[in-house]
Amino acid sequence: MNNLTQRARMQPVLGVGTGIAAFASAAIVFLILIFLLVFAWPAIRFNGSGILTGVIWNIGNQYGSSTVTHNGVTAQAGASFGGLVFVFGTIATSALAMVIAVPLSFLVAVALVYRVPRKLQPLANTLVELMAGVPSVVYGLWGIVVLVPWVGNQLGPFAQAHLSWVPLVRGETGSGNGLLAAGIILALMVLPIMVATLRDVILAQPPTIFEASMALGSTTWQAVTRAVFPSVRKGFLAAVLVALGRALGETMAVLMVCGAAINQFPSNIFQAVNTIAAVIVSQLDSALTDASGMAQRSLAELALVLFLITLVVNVVARLTLRGADRSAQ
Amino acid sequence: MRHQRISRLASRAWWSVSVLALAGVLVVLFGIFWFVAVRGVPALRPALFTTVTSGVAGGLENAIAGTLLLVGAGLVLVTLVGIGTAIWIVEYAPPRAQDVSRFLIDVLAGVPSIVVGYFLYVVLVEGLGWGFSLVAGAFALTIVMLPYVVRSSDLALSGVPQALREGAFALGARRATVLFGVAIPWAIPGMLTGLLVATGIGLGETAPLIYTAGWSNFMPSLAPTHSPVGYLTYVVWTFISQPFPQAHALAYAAAALLMIFIFLTNLVSRSAVEYWSARSRRG
Amino acid sequence: MRKLALTALALALTAGCASQTTTTTATATAPEVSGRLLETGSTLLYPLMNLWVASYQKQHAGVQITTQGTGSGTGISQAIAGVAQIGASDAYMSDAQMKGTPMLNIPLAISAQQINYNVPGLNGVHLRLSGPVLAGIYSGKILTWNDPAIVGINPRYASKLPHHTIVPIHRSDGSGDTFIFSQYLSYSTPSWAQGPGMGTTISWPAVASGVGANGNPGMVETCKNTPYSIAYIGVSFLDQTQAAHLGYAALRNRAGAFVLPAHATIAAAAQAMVNKTPKDERISLVFAPGKQSYPIINYEYAIVNPHQTGAAARANLVAFLSWAILPNGGNASRFLDEVHFLPLPPSIVKLSKEQIAKIH
Repeated sequence: MNNLTQRARMQPVLGVGTGIAAFASAAIVFLILIFLLVFAWPAIRFNGSGILTGVIWNIGNQYGSSTVTHNGVTAQAGASFGGLVFVFGTIATSALAMVIAVPLSFLVAVALVYRVPRKLQPLANTLVELMAGVPSVVYGLWGIVVLVPWVGNQLGPFAQAHLSWVPLVRGETGSGNGLLAAGIILALMVLPIMVATLRDVILAQPPTIFEASMALGSTTWQAVTRAVFPSVRKGFLAAVLVALGRALGETMAVLMVCGAAINQFPSNIFQAVNTIAAVIVSQLDSALTDASGMAQRSLAELALVLFLITLVVNVVARLTLRGADRSAQ
Repeated sequence: MRHQRISRLASRAWWSVSVLALAGVLVVLFGIFWFVAVRGVPALRPALFTTVTSGVAGGLENAIAGTLLLVGAGLVLVTLVGIGTAIWIVEYAPPRAQDVSRFLIDVLAGVPSIVVGYFLYVVLVEGLGWGFSLVAGAFALTIVMLPYVVRSSDLALSGVPQALREGAFALGARRATVLFGVAIPWAIPGMLTGLLVATGIGLGETAPLIYTAGWSNFMPSLAPTHSPVGYLTYVVWTFISQPFPQAHALAYAAAALLMIFIFLTNLVSRSAVEYWSARSRRG
Repeated sequence: MRKLALTALALALTAGCASQTTTTTATATAPEVSGRLLETGSTLLYPLMNLWVASYQKQHAGVQITTQGTGSGTGISQAIAGVAQIGASDAYMSDAQMKGTPMLNIPLAISAQQINYNVPGLNGVHLRLSGPVLAGIYSGKILTWNDPAIVGINPRYASKLPHHTIVPIHRSDGSGDTFIFSQYLSYSTPSWAQGPGMGTTISWPAVASGVGANGNPGMVETCKNTPYSIAYIGVSFLDQTQAAHLGYAALRNRAGAFVLPAHATIAAAAQAMVNKTPKDERISLVFAPGKQSYPIINYEYAIVNPHQTGAAARANLVAFLSWAILPNGGNASRFLDEVHFLPLPPSIVKLSKEQIAKIH
């Protein structure tokens, strides 16, 4: 009891302390945003809307002596910083990853909670969290040695032979490096976050929800999908958003399997794409050699675009959820 | 009647699908373990833990120590800041501030880790002149891990049944008492999951560390600044690009070690919590 | 100034001796250098740097050199920022960069590149390729292996060249390999020079079947797994490309002859460029004249700031660089052969020494 009163006395301290922590968290986001804005400012002026509408990415002739100036900002001659290919690739790979990972994580999580014997559950949980501990580079290496050849030499030819009537599958399937491989790798990488969170929120529900639904005559699966799932929907969405954030920003593994498309769009799910995060990592080194500095700043502008994409995704998800809540009432 | 039989069949079919999904994921996971083990185990020998990296050969003592140091420091910071943030969001924040904070945290999850690394490189390493250092690296990991810790702790604390809280308040308990006596113990598993997933992600990160912690072939000095630190993911990332088989073996050994670390962390923390909650239930 | 250069030379010589004799001689005859050095940059030079440092530190117990493989651009920019003392780079700094901060560009060794392909049935033979043909492939103008342009220079294999789409693989990350490959295309093909040009990263023309790969391991793996593909891969990965059973091409040089990458042809190309190397040593060795010259080779550079603070740190840096370029030091074949690099010709060693002497 003594201990408890002591804790009670801490209350204002606790409010202030956690408030500072929360302020620090928020401050980090703003600091990064301000940093990007300031750093990218010359590129914003140089590129105008081209960063979102242009298709050609060219840091310019580094060994020539001529430069181009636009809006008072100078870059090497021939420079063109069009980011549309990367914006498209970022959205496409993450969307594909979510199409795979959302249903998969739901299936895996309910299997973990309801079908794995209680004794084995700690082991199963550990395995799921271990999946989060596989370094991104290792996913990438596994991708180029195992997944990409499988997509390129098995799945691709199979799809060409039997699934050519499907719009996004038709056509040249190439080497296996591309949208599909990147989507699968990303799905695997975000899976542990989603499964672990969904499992925890299901377990945090009172078991009565499941039992009441069963008592009303539903099958076990109906009890899960119609009674338990609605009550954990918000938690699941939060997990999906964090996972989507990771997918949008994931770099190394995607870089290694996406085919690193430049100046072109894929015509089906097998062909090469590229993402903003992958481009930032793969181009940063060369950008550092740009004497005008514009390549480096344009990469910062791309980072800013990615920031905005994440922002929009989050706003849309929140509005959808709010709308759904209202219509449910 | 017939309708019922169909839905029962459907139920069974769906359960089979979900168990198959779980099995499929486990098969892929073991495939990746196998992939790493086959290539990395030949390099796992005792000298690995007692010698520093020297050229493409040598051991991983410096990288192991550096990884533990960086992730350890990052974890301390992220536990303080992350769980603090989650407590504030759930317990203290006005509704509007709750929404905004959650929103910002989700946005942070989408910032590529290379951007975090480069931001800190410009501000800390170059700007404040800290050089490649332990503190810069630990900050980078903290920022990368933060969203996972905040979101899972937030969810776990929000999931505490209202009845439990109200019961405690009805008994005259104060806010902090309810928080420490009721809410946090209830939320511990969820918070722990978040920390473990974050540890996994922190251990596996390369991009934000290259520009902040740098890399060192020598044992980390404990100096907070002006002294680069080695870490295992660097070995995975760069030694793979070396043209020598022994360098590749070292890279996969480093990857295997990272996975062993997360496995051990997981085992220890889960059993600690189990022990602890069993005791508190008895008490 | 002169005194410093002399000390450097003395240190270098003793270091060179030490590698041949024993460690004790070095410590007995010269003041031992000590302190920390940070090297960062080129991933192409990184393997060699690691071999060097491991051996060098055995002779100089007081020296701690940390090596980082981060990429040439990072190497240059961190050397300029003063975060690292040695920035390793596959590319010399451009005039525009030198205008910002003048740095020393010191060649340490010579590397080369082969053109690999995976054409079932033909990996055992050496196809002939030229700059214009490669430019055609990488810009989507030459689409199949039996294109007349390829058949024309490979009459022996005319019937074996398949009617299959070529998959051109390029590096997705910034790379010295892209730099010298695009130089070869630029110097040999005017339309390429006008278009994509040259650089550690370039704006690759859109080719539907084209694909990017990360790092040299990614190039080897993708080429191995993708039939009918073609790739440019650094010579340090020669053993890997052979283990993967990839073919490698004889390339047409400036004199019009088709030559294979080999010790003699790389050395011939280097020798042909010796007299053209300026005092600051910023020059491309690609597409060298001479019938024997292999067309894709380059200097690997150490980018160093000529102004170094602290006498001890300066001596440490100078001693290591001086050792690295010596024929019986870092340029000894026991180091270079491991990565299939070539030593600097004697007159280049002299130029590099003069540059090292400028560090003050």
